[in-house]
Amino acid sequence: MTDDPLWYKDAIVYQLHVKSFADSDGDGMGDFRGLTTRLDYIRDLGVDTIWILPMYPSPFRDDGYDIADYTAIHPSYGTLDDFRAFLDAAHARGLKVITELVLNHTSDQHQWFKEARRSRDDPKRDWYVWSDTDEKYAGVRIIFVDTERSNWTWDPDSKQYYWHRFFSHQPDLNYDNPAVREEMWLAMKFWLDLGVDGFRVDAVPYLIEREGTSCENLPETHDVLKFLRRRLDEHCTGKMLLAEANQWPEDVRHYFGDGDEFHMAFHFPLMPRMFMALKLEDRKPLVDIVERTPAIPDTCQWGIFLRNHDELTLEMVSETERAYMYDEYAREPGARINVGIRRRLAPLLEGDRRRIELMNGLLMSMPGSPIIYYGDEIGMGDNIYLGDRNGVRTPMQWTGGWNAGFSSADPERLAQPLISNPLYGYQAVNVDSQRRFEHSLLNWTSRLIKVRRSSHVFSRGSTTFLHPANHRVLAFLRTLEAEQVLVVCNLSSTAQAVELDLRHLAGMLPIEMFGRSVFPRIGELPYMLTLGSYDFFWFRLRRL
Amino acid sequence: MRVPETSVLSDDLVRDLMAVGQVDVLVGVPTLNNAGTVTSVVRAVSAAFDQYFPRDRTLLLNSDGGSTDGTPDLVRGIRHDAGTVTVSHRLRTEHRISAPYHGLPGKGSALRQILTVADLTQARAVAVLDADVTTVTPEWIAALVRPVRDQQYDYVAPIYARHPTDGLLISQIVRPLMRAAYGWEVREPLAVEFGCSTRFLTHCLGQDIWTSELARYGMDLWITGEALSAGFRSCQAPLGQRLAPSSPDRPGFPDVFAQVVGSVFGCLDVHAAYWLSRTGSDPLPVVGAEFAAPSEPPVVDAARLTQTLATDLRELQDVLKTILRPETLAALNEAVAGDRLDYTDALWVATVGEFLIAHHRGIMSRDHITRALVPLYLGRVRSFLSQYSAAAPADVDAALESLCLEFERMKPGVVAAWRETVKR
Repeated sequence: MTDDPLWYKDAIVYQLHVKSFADSDGDGMGDFRGLTTRLDYIRDLGVDTIWILPMYPSPFRDDGYDIADYTAIHPSYGTLDDFRAFLDAAHARGLKVITELVLNHTSDQHQWFKEARRSRDDPKRDWYVWSDTDEKYAGVRIIFVDTERSNWTWDPDSKQYYWHRFFSHQPDLNYDNPAVREEMWLAMKFWLDLGVDGFRVDAVPYLIEREGTSCENLPETHDVLKFLRRRLDEHCTGKMLLAEANQWPEDVRHYFGDGDEFHMAFHFPLMPRMFMALKLEDRKPLVDIVERTPAIPDTCQWGIFLRNHDELTLEMVSETERAYMYDEYAREPGARINVGIRRRLAPLLEGDRRRIELMNGLLMSMPGSPIIYYGDEIGMGDNIYLGDRNGVRTPMQWTGGWNAGFSSADPERLAQPLISNPLYGYQAVNVDSQRRFEHSLLNWTSRLIKVRRSSHVFSRGSTTFLHPANHRVLAFLRTLEAEQVLVVCNLSSTAQAVELDLRHLAGMLPIEMFGRSVFPRIGELPYMLTLGSYDFFWFRLRRL
Repeated sequence: MRVPETSVLSDDLVRDLMAVGQVDVLVGVPTLNNAGTVTSVVRAVSAAFDQYFPRDRTLLLNSDGGSTDGTPDLVRGIRHDAGTVTVSHRLRTEHRISAPYHGLPGKGSALRQILTVADLTQARAVAVLDADVTTVTPEWIAALVRPVRDQQYDYVAPIYARHPTDGLLISQIVRPLMRAAYGWEVREPLAVEFGCSTRFLTHCLGQDIWTSELARYGMDLWITGEALSAGFRSCQAPLGQRLAPSSPDRPGFPDVFAQVVGSVFGCLDVHAAYWLSRTGSDPLPVVGAEFAAPSEPPVVDAARLTQTLATDLRELQDVLKTILRPETLAALNEAVAGDRLDYTDALWVATVGEFLIAHHRGIMSRDHITRALVPLYLGRVRSFLSQYSAAAPADVDAALESLCLEFERMKPGVVAAWRETVKR
């Protein structure tokens, strides 16, 4: 495991849900002991960091993001000792582990909230945000539009409204209260002292409320986050904080501060535009958003991804773009939730291997640290009828046998049903069968990661787009000191020819990185390439 | 760069088109020294793509006839109007190509290039605009394209919002003659702007018209006639008022008249097999809401009308004797001899019909025949305006409709004479 304090800049992250990964005790729900048995798989895939979804005690009304205790493990997942054993085993395999830190809110079953609502005089009262009316902070957008009608909910016990930017059972913490800030730092410290390597911090833009504002991205919110970062840096080194701030790039920029806030942040606006560019067969949306992305401090890094445990969010797109994405990727109304699409990668791409490869090729070559969502490496499907976002959180499909090798429980006892249709069902899509043939998606993904790892240019290099006349071809240079990689992608379903202006690189030899084939030397004339449907090239450019 | 004789598309243009690929909506804008007006047209097209066709693959093709005023550079360099849709939220890359066309000078070669590009790029819908017009709006493009793209029409003719006494060359000859011949009530058969489908443009490209004399000045008419005669599903789309500044390079009226009327007569030659057997007329569907016509009549160039018809008739008697039937010439001489010229509908229609037959028979130079009609036309206009220049628009419309019906009544006689020509 690396000691580089900037390890996250080169990380390739594997995001998983303990509940859905591997069940060791046959209760139908994944746990840490089960996860520990699968660490070799994760290591062999080629990733180096694991991001675990919330593992804390919770009533599970929001799949664990409604936390009832910040310093314990949910009994269904095991014990604290199980977690320690998992952590040690991961570290022994060179895998870092980041866990969730849900700062913005707790479950209404958290002891703090139970106490807070006992009376208006309770010491914990001020740990949450209360109001006599539901008219404060009027106009602030509702995030879970499918289920919530207001950001305020009436508490009949204490006869006041409490503020919640998410579900009504997730009251927002009051970060104007120093005690809350200190307590959350203590929660962080607890896990850091156990050995976790960092946190993915949930819903960071919403920590502070102020009248007359959108209650998002406020300067005071950044003060809170800087406070937590200061405490982290004073306490330990080599840890990482990853911000979930679903905002435009110029707004997310502030979450990096001057290198004194978050180490990483997700690049949310990039993700839907990758899907858009593919469907449009036009690089424009992708190039536009990357060129619009501001520079970040040298110690910071973007987190980029194709899919995750949530819906494919369409918050950071225009209305025209949103309508287009819905029409093209979510024709079934049941696939739409909140402001997004609750589908996995493979179903979104209609199981098309070529498109899946292209999108992964983009993920691994665009600027940022890539995050792979568990199951997407084998092309798992989804179930939009499971409610909320559960359809993309179904059990990992290890084998074609009993419960896909996920659990020994009776199938009816599984916490989440398996995907079982003929196209994506576990009998057809599983790790075991994909291990058996060389050209499976699993093995291809593993090779892709290996090639990505062969050069830091992908993780730390600059990005310069070329603008060939053929808009269906995306071409860009990744440069890190003397090293240069040329990436060329055909976003179209049809074969394409493209002429690239590479005069400034005249004399260099492009060497294709997967097969190491040598391509013609670059000269003064436009460099002509032809690409098959959804094809892509990574060329290492060498002067030989 | 050597362009083979039979190539419509230069290598440079082909290279550009390779980059563009397949297109859903193509807007063609022929130009020749339109630097003063082309900017607003290009901006309107760009805005139309954003507002009405945001998901479509689009291309603006400027087919240029060798402008020396920088028109092509202007077209390429016009930036998207920041006042409309935010550029960063436009879904697709905007493609704009300006390319010189080759072949016969004139509109026909430009159109051929546009339609060939549309064919190559598999454009689902094509609209052609005039770079001279200052009143083009994004809605023009939508009106011409949507009936093709969404309602499967093959040809869309425009309707302009005109005062009834505006465009008398159209209302006195072109419209009623085309209506009587082709049997469809097309208001603007000579329109530069039109929309069309892949099916229709492929058909047009396959016709042996592109190197003919008609291709120089009569393509607009031929396109309309071809759509109607070949049975393509056609409609009309209201666009609004059409204003184009007068160009100092514009030919004199007799030349314009000869080009237009010669083209009408030429089209009737080409499409004779169709219209000779067509009877009556039917309304052509209108897609979209009509615009209110301007309330003010256009300013008439009185100088053009002050030439005395009587003098011209005297000078043209020998020519007219070979063109007109004796009774028509006699009636014309009598009308001119009176105190007040009353060039009736019946007489005018007979005049036009007999000129048409003469043109068809080629009894003398066809250019001479059409030019001989000029003073008669001016006399007819003077006569018409003396009755209707101050009339209510509805009354003028009624008079024009009456004229159309007179042309339709004349048709059997024309058909008989035409067929007699064939027997000869």
